[in-house]
Amino acid sequence: MEGLWDFLRSLHDAYGINLVHFYDTFERTRLLRGMWTTIQLAATCVVLSVLIGIIGAWLQGSRFKILKGFVQGYIQFFRNTPPLVQMYFFYFALGPQMPRIENEYGIAQPMLGSFAWAVISLSFFAGAFNIEIFRSGVEAVQKATVEAADSLGFNRWQIYRLVVLPLAVRVCLPALNNNLVNLIKTTTQAYAIAVPETLYIASQIWSDRINVFEMMVTLLTFYLLLVGIFVWLMTRLERSLRVPGFGQ
Amino acid sequence: MSAGGNSNLILAPVAPPSSQGETGFLASAFTPRALGIALGLFASVALVSEAWAQLVAGGERLGILATLWKWAPLVLIGPPREFGGFALNILVSFLAMAIGTVSGLVLGLGLISKFAPVRSVSWAITQFFRNSPWLVLLFFVMLLTPFQFRIGGLTIPFPAWFKATVGLALPVMANVAEIVRGAVNSIPTGQWESAESLAFSRLQTLWRIILPQCVKRMIPPWMNWYAILTMSTPLISIVGVNDAMTLTQDALASEQRTDLLMPMYGMLLLFFFVYCYPIARWTIRLERKFAVRI
Amino acid sequence: MRRLIGALAIGVVAALMANTAAKADPLAEIKKKGTLIVGVKTDYPPWGTRDASGNIVGMEADMAADVAKRLGVKLELVSVVSSNRMQFLQQGKIDLMIATMSDTPERRKVVGIIDPVYYASGVAILANKKANIKSAADLKGKPVCALQGAFYNNDLQSKYTGQDLVAFKGVTEAEQALLDGRCVGFVYDDVVLVFKKANDKKFEGFDVVALPEWKPVPWGLAVKIEDLDGPWGKFMAATTKEWLASGTLLALEKKWVGNNTQWLIDASAAAKK
Repeated sequence: MEGLWDFLRSLHDAYGINLVHFYDTFERTRLLRGMWTTIQLAATCVVLSVLIGIIGAWLQGSRFKILKGFVQGYIQFFRNTPPLVQMYFFYFALGPQMPRIENEYGIAQPMLGSFAWAVISLSFFAGAFNIEIFRSGVEAVQKATVEAADSLGFNRWQIYRLVVLPLAVRVCLPALNNNLVNLIKTTTQAYAIAVPETLYIASQIWSDRINVFEMMVTLLTFYLLLVGIFVWLMTRLERSLRVPGFGQ
Repeated sequence: MSAGGNSNLILAPVAPPSSQGETGFLASAFTPRALGIALGLFASVALVSEAWAQLVAGGERLGILATLWKWAPLVLIGPPREFGGFALNILVSFLAMAIGTVSGLVLGLGLISKFAPVRSVSWAITQFFRNSPWLVLLFFVMLLTPFQFRIGGLTIPFPAWFKATVGLALPVMANVAEIVRGAVNSIPTGQWESAESLAFSRLQTLWRIILPQCVKRMIPPWMNWYAILTMSTPLISIVGVNDAMTLTQDALASEQRTDLLMPMYGMLLLFFFVYCYPIARWTIRLERKFAVRI
Repeated sequence: MRRLIGALAIGVVAALMANTAAKADPLAEIKKKGTLIVGVKTDYPPWGTRDASGNIVGMEADMAADVAKRLGVKLELVSVVSSNRMQFLQQGKIDLMIATMSDTPERRKVVGIIDPVYYASGVAILANKKANIKSAADLKGKPVCALQGAFYNNDLQSKYTGQDLVAFKGVTEAEQALLDGRCVGFVYDDVVLVFKKANDKKFEGFDVVALPEWKPVPWGLAVKIEDLDGPWGKFMAATTKEWLASGTLLALEKKWVGNNTQWLIDASAAAKK
């Protein structure tokens, strides 16, 4: 490893290619930590937003008008307002209203930190889209299938969980995939509320070390890789879930 | 038309454009009432915080609603003699959409080109800009393009807000390209063949026969992207442009009151909601009208 | 296409005209057009901030007004931020920049920083009393709020806190995070922190602790680099010198900040001699 770092260091001296974020131990560890934060943030939000989507789509089929109206209001609010402003609203306006706990420095601190608020706001944002996506899948399921399950004595939640959802998921996977990729890209906005994710750390490095171009290339490569791996996993999932007799 | 086939490789999770407007199936639940509910909700939040503020401060300070009223013009149209605020968000969204659409059309035609190198280069550009985070692209353009261009002896300035516009136009370009490709591919092959038999050149077929039919199919997803773009414009505040978000924060800085945080950010959310919600509704209407029946 | 070329040509001509106009001597040019355009900050109270009607006010806005008065022209203030203030000057968008800019050798290569400098600030932390912070050494392992892009961030993290800073884009956010108890202190320019602490009741539970680990940095006002030794640069150098010697800056600081900093008292005394 040392040899590689020395080589990268020599690139800086010889050609002015400043890859300090690789060969300098301090910069490298914090950049890696940032990437790990991004991965955790993205993974948590993906799982939570899918859960919100599943539950929301189920609630939309509910008989209670108020419940339906509530879900509808939630979807419209999150779909038609900017995610960045949502994040500010959550972290700076809603955050301080939370109960406070005294931390180890004797300071009363609101219960949820910036990472938690980023997870909440991003999951709700992507979740609003996911509800609509799952709903389109649910609507694609043949009525006869539901009726058949009903006649076999399944209750409403059982029908949704065991019959409708497995079919619906397969139908809406491409759209879901799309939205989740968008979610992964949107995690960069957590930068604004000081979550130490990749973009946040990168911007610190480029303002300290004045190597904007090299940092940008590293950043873009990282995100393209992350999205690429995610899409690859989703494609595998899609293939393994394929319903026989549909498509080519 | 096998040309577009390879575009759905690794980095192409996006389904054909029709599925991008997942909004369509919800149309029945959409009513103008929702807008009323949103306004009502905002008003009640403002009123509750108003009452709370009066209770806590004993009425010595300006009430919440009066304070919002005081700052609303600044957040909406920016400071006097300067262009900024929500109006700048809208202007940036228009310009970025225009730039993104024109370049996206060119890139989209590149995606369906018969010439393989053009196709692969266009594919690479599209995938790159579609899968990079908007904020990173914005930083890229802000920090790595010069603030002015010199052509010969003259200097063309390249101000921050315009750079931000270009930064936002890039992902729009890639997505418009994808819409174009999807729409062209949705036209039956028979049309190409009949045009060919009538001695139309490829370009003529594209301009006179295929693209005019595509316009209708492209409008709903295109509008969907316009809404997404508009909701991304507050990102320009991060790179130092005087948009509605920046001015909201300036106002908060100048007021120095914690009880204003919710109402002020709420007001900003409301501005966007009032602008974007009708567009979303309209998109759904058009989508249903132009739906392709198979 | 032809229309497009036409539009481009018009743009090019306009740019050319703007370019030739900028080449004349600015001092004569400002007097001729009757307006002085000064770039000041709007996110830096009380040096530069906005009032509710959107007007820019503050100590630096007053300094700009004084320059306009001396020239007998109207004043136009343009809001600048740290990332665009030097570009605005180079582009000729502003004639003069008074925007809390620290004087550094790199910046002297890009813009014409006027000697003498007019102000200076050091680094300090506005620390929560409960966290019991007396010096930079006490910051180890603690969350510290800061601003993105500040020159001391790297040092602060690698030598003192040893963990990622809680850094925001603007002062508003950092301050809010501090008040919410999300960090033990906010590291920023000492003059601003002293002002905040003195003028705002909500900082009662906080102390300003100086961080002498970082030396005070002078602030300079700036003109285009090519005008530094011309009539415009000389005029501004003489004006700044006069401001210091006559106590104008001390009076303005008293008016806006509330008290006088040792640096300005010393600099004014030095200018008198």
